[in-house]
Amino acid sequence: MPSLRIRLSDLKTIIVCLLILNVLSLLSIYSSLHQEGEFINKQILYKQITWIIISWGFLIFISFVNYRIYYYSGYLLYGINLILLVAVSFFGKTIMGAQRWLHIFGISFQPSELSKIAIIILLAKFFSQSSRKGVVRDFLLPFVLVAFNALVIAKQPDLGTAFLLIFLFFAMGLFSNVSKRYFVYFIISGLLLSPFLLSQLKDYQKKRLTVFINPNVDPLGSGYTIIQSKIAIGSGKFSGKGFLAGTQNQFNFLPERHTDFIFTVVAEEWGFLGGLFLLFIYWMIIKKILDKTKELKDSFAYFLCLGISLLFFIHVFINVGMTLGILPVVGLPLIFLSYGGSNLLIASVLIGIFFNICRSSR
Amino acid sequence: MKKSIFLLQKYSFIFSVETIQKIYFGGFIVLILALSYYQIIKGDYYFKRAKNNYVRLIPLRAIRGSILDRNGKLIADDKASFNISVIPYQIKRKKDPLFREIAKFLNLDVKSLYRNYNKNLRSLFIPVDILIGSDKITALALKEKFADAILINTQPQRYYPYTYQFAHILGYVKKATARYEELKKYGYQPLERIGFSGIEQQYDAYLKGEDGGDSIEVDAKGKMVGFLGKQIPKKGKSIQLTIDSRIQNAAYQSLEGEKGAIILMNSDNGEIIALCSAPSFDSNHFVKGKNIAKLLNHKDSPMLNRAIQASYPIGSVFKPILALAALETGKSRLGTQKITSATTFFCSGELRLGLAKFRCWATHGRQNLHQALIHSCNIYFYNLGLLLGPNIMSKWAKKITLDSLTNIDLPYEKKGFIPTVKWKRKKLKTAWFPGDTFNFSIGQGFITSTPLEVVTAINVFANNGYLVVPHILKNVAGLNSELATRTYLGASERNIKKIKKGLRGAVSEPGGTASMLRALNLQISGKTGTAQTRGESHGWFVGYFPYRNKKYTICVFLENVGSSYVALKVTYNFLEKITKDNDFL
Repeated sequence: MPSLRIRLSDLKTIIVCLLILNVLSLLSIYSSLHQEGEFINKQILYKQITWIIISWGFLIFISFVNYRIYYYSGYLLYGINLILLVAVSFFGKTIMGAQRWLHIFGISFQPSELSKIAIIILLAKFFSQSSRKGVVRDFLLPFVLVAFNALVIAKQPDLGTAFLLIFLFFAMGLFSNVSKRYFVYFIISGLLLSPFLLSQLKDYQKKRLTVFINPNVDPLGSGYTIIQSKIAIGSGKFSGKGFLAGTQNQFNFLPERHTDFIFTVVAEEWGFLGGLFLLFIYWMIIKKILDKTKELKDSFAYFLCLGISLLFFIHVFINVGMTLGILPVVGLPLIFLSYGGSNLLIASVLIGIFFNICRSSR
Repeated sequence: MKKSIFLLQKYSFIFSVETIQKIYFGGFIVLILALSYYQIIKGDYYFKRAKNNYVRLIPLRAIRGSILDRNGKLIADDKASFNISVIPYQIKRKKDPLFREIAKFLNLDVKSLYRNYNKNLRSLFIPVDILIGSDKITALALKEKFADAILINTQPQRYYPYTYQFAHILGYVKKATARYEELKKYGYQPLERIGFSGIEQQYDAYLKGEDGGDSIEVDAKGKMVGFLGKQIPKKGKSIQLTIDSRIQNAAYQSLEGEKGAIILMNSDNGEIIALCSAPSFDSNHFVKGKNIAKLLNHKDSPMLNRAIQASYPIGSVFKPILALAALETGKSRLGTQKITSATTFFCSGELRLGLAKFRCWATHGRQNLHQALIHSCNIYFYNLGLLLGPNIMSKWAKKITLDSLTNIDLPYEKKGFIPTVKWKRKKLKTAWFPGDTFNFSIGQGFITSTPLEVVTAINVFANNGYLVVPHILKNVAGLNSELATRTYLGASERNIKKIKKGLRGAVSEPGGTASMLRALNLQISGKTGTAQTRGESHGWFVGYFPYRNKKYTICVFLENVGSSYVALKVTYNFLEKITKDNDFL
């Protein structure tokens, strides 16, 4: 079994990184569920443990599925994902003002997370094949498919994910053989359309944008979270306050702290060292994926890996930037760390796909 | 496997993996720089802020817009109410003695404080109201005695100076908590006040304003040490209604002791001058959160707005509408007989149909249309209905909107019902019998309407053939609302005039059913109605009259009073009160 040994050594770094993230995720969620030294919501912690086990199951399973299957089932996956999204708008459960969750067998799932995989696969399928067949097949068709998907998600409303999908199209497209002129037109028309798009935003979304520019505009609502997040992170100083000792976190000042603002918990309790270490772990994962991408000869795999690395980077950059107040609050979770099954699951599936690519390209 | 399609082609990339790696690296550097700025450079500052200071949000509720009547008199307003609250985290160890002392100071049962405390507790750091709706003097005295241990929390509270008179029109306000699940998608907060029913609900968007708040920093003792920001609450817009509070008041008094409704409307533009339903309730009870179960379960349903939310058989009030349908159609159902205002029928006091007898309330002899309207002769209208047939009657009853929402600007309006031959066959699985036609032609049987629908229907005669949409809103923050609309019914002026003559005759001519109103000297026209129902009959009077260059349409409806006589008496008293005794109109 020489091949198995080679595979494992190659992927060891990523597996170790993921395990570290799992542990850190559980510690941070555990801490964030405390209020004044009392553990207030055990349920959430147990759920996350279950999700971590499930996601490892998926990761291992997917890593044995030949990734070329996705090439042939690109449209099918896209279709299933659309059906689920439409189902969510009919039967979905509304949590925190947005209709994103689908309730199946007692498990809440967010189909908008599935869209991230479906779109990466779809785009990899298109861009790996593009050999200048004209503007419609090379550019317009994938764009319309992505834009439609993004639109359905934006309606939920989940603006963060919708923008993310459009961004994936744009970023992956730049690596393709498709004429770059189209992308230039795309940017120009996007800029021209932006006043119209802005007028379509819901009030709370507009508020978030203005609050991002000046948090004191709305010190009670969105601005409150940013101010609190900054105080919590800053007060962690160089070495942090220690596990379970984050006062800002513990005293309930910070809303959403086990989901979108989990980085704040890490930075408050483990300080600059903790934050730096966490960012280093993410960097290692992304670096490993890119290193592999450079060696690939298969264009479909190449674009899949690009998509995966882009998705991971955007999640980390936007989320951490948001908790630090340098980016607007758009509600993208921190992959592998935030509480929530759907995001953890799709991130693990993507890693699974990457593992299979590594295995197949040997 | 078709390997060829997967082979990576060597493109001339602008972007290579090396480039994207640099971009990612740059991103991580930006994050690390920001992190080091907050944690290393500004670390001490934030550490101090976190350690010694707590941020607290003090919500400031917006003042709700006032509601004025057409003369500018206040009929709903916000008043300051003082709540005494405590911050649980701050009084953790001294709660019991504190509550005991407060109770002693106010001569209250200490249990009520605990009850409020436990009911309102949300988080250890959010002020909890323990005493609600105290007056200013008490609040200040408490503050002087207990200083930092308590907070005085000034909250606007809705106040309705007229209690029972306006309850149905205005509705009331309550915290949105109860209906928060359905309201949150419209941007409501759970503790925000929202209008429930009536004008308060209909125009909530104008009235509610926008809540604000103070974001302050306090030290461990709860003392304010810094001010982070303020969002000034925005006052809601004031709105003015077309209602005249004096006339509304008179209407309520006229209904004293009865169940029913009075509606007074401007005939030309549909402005509602008074709309009153009895029995009524006190809106202030809802605001103060008093026990309202009694109201909801009362056998007389005081919460029901009888003017718009309940439909009743309309009795003889239907006759002028049938008369209009007959004159407009001009001939019998089979086309064999012409129908004009000169057509006569003989009333012997009863009409036989097989074994059944259909009675008139008197013996009128030979009657033409004019006489039949004046005397409200059933026999005449049985014959007329038989000639026309049910389809034409249903058509005109629907046309004059007896079974459609009037679209008045009040929530939860109900609509009446007009039977048709088709409906009876489909829903009741039986044929339409001549007896059904007889009942229909005197407004009995299946037909029901709300008093407001009856007003808009009869108003067609007052308004010479035009339907209006009744409305209550006059203006918002001084800007006139443009709600008045007129629709042509499609009946000839000549025929309308003939029926108007009959309606006038019912008051002015001797033997007219409404001649009691002649003494008012108001040039009033109208039609009475005694609608049979289970129990005592309902009494109706619907009419219209000109007054000082304006025309008004009035409807008085009384539930289970026996006959239209009581309705006429109430009409008389009401109109006398607002024209002769006082100069309200």
